Amino acid sequence: MSAPAVLKILEKNVKEDAGLIAILEDIQANYGYLPKEALEIVAEKTGYPLLDIFGVATFYKSFSLKPRGEHLISVCLGTACHVRSAPVVVEEFERQLGIKVGETTPDNEFSLETAACLGACALGPIVVVDGRYFSNVDTSEVKRIIKKARTGLDKVTVKADQRIFPVEVSCSKCNHSLMDSSHLIDGYPSIKVTMSFSDLHGWLALSSLYGSYNVSSEYEIPGEMIVNIFCPHCHAELLGAADCADCSAPMIPMIVRGGGVVQICSRKGCKGHMLDLNGVNL
Amino acid sequence: MADFEKILFKNIDFPDQDKIDIYIKNGGYNALRKALDSMSPESVTEEVIKSGLRGRGGAGFPTGRKWTFLPKDSKRPVYLTVNADESEPGTFKDRELIEKDPHLVIEGTLLAAYAIKCGQAYIYIRGEFAFGARQLNKAIEEARAKGFLGKNILGKGVDIEIIVHRGGGAYICGEETALLTSLEGNQGYPRVKPPFPAISGLYSAPTIINNVETLSNIPYIINKGAEKFSAFGTAKSPGTKIFCLSGHINKPGNYELPMGIPLRELLYEYGGGIKDGRNLKAVIPGGSSVPLLTADKVDVRMDFESLAEAGTMLGSAGVIVIDETVCMVRAAYNLARFYQHESCGQCTPCRQGTYWILAILERIERGRGSLKDLDKLLEICENIEGNTICPLGDAATPSVKSTIHHFRDEYEYHITEQKCKVSMGPRFE
Ligand SMILES: Cc1cc2nc3c(=O)[nH]c(=O)nc-3n(C[C@H](O)[C@H](O)[C@H](O)COP(=O)(O)O)c2cc1C
Repeated sequence: MSAPAVLKILEKNVKEDAGLIAILEDIQANYGYLPKEALEIVAEKTGYPLLDIFGVATFYKSFSLKPRGEHLISVCLGTACHVRSAPVVVEEFERQLGIKVGETTPDNEFSLETAACLGACALGPIVVVDGRYFSNVDTSEVKRIIKKARTGLDKVTVKADQRIFPVEVSCSKCNHSLMDSSHLIDGYPSIKVTMSFSDLHGWLALSSLYGSYNVSSEYEIPGEMIVNIFCPHCHAELLGAADCADCSAPMIPMIVRGGGVVQICSRKGCKGHMLDLNGVNL
Repeated sequence: MADFEKILFKNIDFPDQDKIDIYIKNGGYNALRKALDSMSPESVTEEVIKSGLRGRGGAGFPTGRKWTFLPKDSKRPVYLTVNADESEPGTFKDRELIEKDPHLVIEGTLLAAYAIKCGQAYIYIRGEFAFGARQLNKAIEEARAKGFLGKNILGKGVDIEIIVHRGGGAYICGEETALLTSLEGNQGYPRVKPPFPAISGLYSAPTIINNVETLSNIPYIINKGAEKFSAFGTAKSPGTKIFCLSGHINKPGNYELPMGIPLRELLYEYGGGIKDGRNLKAVIPGGSSVPLLTADKVDVRMDFESLAEAGTMLGSAGVIVIDETVCMVRAAYNLARFYQHESCGQCTPCRQGTYWILAILERIERGRGSLKDLDKLLEICENIEGNTICPLGDAATPSVKSTIHHFRDEYEYHITEQKCKVSMGPRFE
C-alpha cells in the first residue's frame, strides 16, 4: 500500500472534477481491490465520510474489499443461462477449484463469482474469465477453461499446447462456410473473408491451421492496423462482444464446424485469439 | 407477416455503420438537420406525441407525453439521461444498438435533448459494457468534429453536450431514480416519487430519463413523420420492437419486428423452433420481472395491450424460452436469489420480502418445505407489491406467483416427494 499512488489518483480526479465512484474505480484498477488504508486516505483528503465511501464500495458489484485471485472466473446465472444448465457449470467450477462462489483459492490463483446476467443471453451459458467470454459452456469444458486461464488466455502457443489442427469455420451471422479450397495456406484451404481499412476494401485469406498466423491479402495491411472483417456472402461485419486481451482491439468471431466459436484479434500482427469449442475433444 | 420497415436495425449489419461517414451515407443526421433547420423544439415533441411512441425500457410510458411534464421555462437546467444500464435478465437489445450503430443512439439523444431544451445529456451505461462505452465515446467525438454536437450545432445556436457515464454493477441502477442518485456519485438508492424526475431529478433539476431503444426511434419519426411510424404495429403499441430471444430456442438473438407479432411466429418462424425438438413449457415474454406464459398461450400477440390482457407484460421484450426439462421451482429459486441480491435494502418490504422468498424457496428446493409454504410465499408477495419505494419489489414477485400458479404440481411434488419432477434438480441436498 503506497500512499503516493492513492494521492496521485486523488489529484487526477480532483482535477477532472470526478465523483467518488470514479476515484474508487481508479484505486481498484491500481490494486485490483479497494484496500482499507486507501479508503481511509480518500476519506481524509476528500472529506467524504468513511461511512459513505464504504457504502458506495459495497453497493456496486465491480468493487471488492478483498483481494481477488489472479484470475477472475464469472459464471452467468441469468435466467437464459440458468435454463441452459449454468448451475451445473457453477458446481463443476466449485468442485474443480475446491472453493465456493465468492471465494478465492488458497494460492490466490482463482476467484469464482456468479453474475446475474451478462447481456449475452443468446450465447448462454456464458462464462467470463478475465474479461474474455466463453459461450455455450458445459461441464466438460470447465477443466479446459481453468487450464487455459492458468496458462494465460493469450499464451496458448502451438508448441506448448501442441494444438495444431485445421479448423473449418463459417460466418457467425449467416453461417455460410468461409472456407476457400481454391486458395491454400499452410497446405490447407484458407478462410476467406472481406476486409476494410482506411479507404481500402479487399479480400483477406487466413490460415485455417489453428496456431498459424499466416495470411495473405489483396492489399498490404500496415503494421498494427485494426481491420474490419466482413462475411463475403452476407456482407455482415464479423464483430463480437469481446475485445482482445492483449491489445484491446475488437475480436472477430467465427463459428467452428462441429460446434464452438473461434475469435481472432482484428489488429495486424497481434496474436490474440480465443478458441471456444464445445463437444470437440482437444 | 404484414410488410414493415426496419427502423432500428435497418443498417445494423452494414459494414462500418459505427463510423460517421457510413452512418451519414445511410441517411444519418438528416433528422437532426431537419429538426434544427425547420422545426421548433415544441414541434419535435408534437411529432413524437403524434407517433404514439412508448418507452422501451419496460414501463411503456408514452415518450412525448413524458416530455411535456417538464416545467415550462424552467429557471434550472433541464437534463436528459439515457438509460443504457440494460441489466434485466434476458435482455440484450440496447447493447447491440450501442455497439453496432452508436450514431443512431447519439442522434436520437440529440433530437430528444433539442426537443426538451436540454444542453447537457448523460448516457448511463452498464459498467460491463466496456466496448459499448468506447463506441459511444468514439461516436461523440466524430459527431463533434462534424459539428453535430457541442457548441452551436450546425450553426443554429443550439448547444448540446453528451457525457457517457459507466455504472458500477448494480441492477437497481436501471430504475430511473436510482440511476440519478448513482449518477450523482452515491449508492444507487431509488427515491420516493413524487416528485417525479421531470420536476425534480438529477441534482434536483428537471430531468427526463429514456431508454436507448426508445430514443433510437426518434430519428426515423422526425425523418419520415409520425404517420409512417405508427403505420407499423398496433394502434396502441405503434412501431417496431426489438425482441431478444434466448433460452431453449434454435436461433437465439435479437429480432426487430412490428409490435403485435404473434409469439408463435416469433418462436417458430424467426427463432427456428424449440431447441433439440423438445417441447415448450413456458415463455417469459418481457424479461425476468414479468409473469410467465404457459405453452398453450403462444398465440398471444407481442404488444403492450395483448400481453397485459394475457396477464403478463411486454417489459423489456426479453423473451426467455423454457422447455420441458426445466424445473420451475429451481428456476424461481434462481430468480429469487437474483432479486434478493439486487434489492438495495432501503425499504423493508423489498429487503425482507425478497429475503424470505429466497429462504422459503431454498427450503422447498432442498425438499424440506411444507405445503403451507406455498400460501406463505403468495402472502409475502402480496405484502411486497405496491408497498415499496421503487418497482424492484414488484419485479421480484411475478416469477414466484406465476410459477406457483401454473406449476403448483411441481412445487407440491418437491414438498411431498422430496424430489424433482423433471430432470434438472434438486441439487441442494
Ligand atoms: C429494477 C428496475 C430496473 C430497471 N432497469 C432498466 C434498464 O436497465 N434499462 C432501462 O431502460 N430501463 C430500466 N428500468 C425502467 C426505468 O425505470 C424507466 O422506466 C425507463 O428507463 C424509462 O425510459 P422509457 O420511458 O424510454 O422506457 C428499470 C426499472 C426497474 C424498476
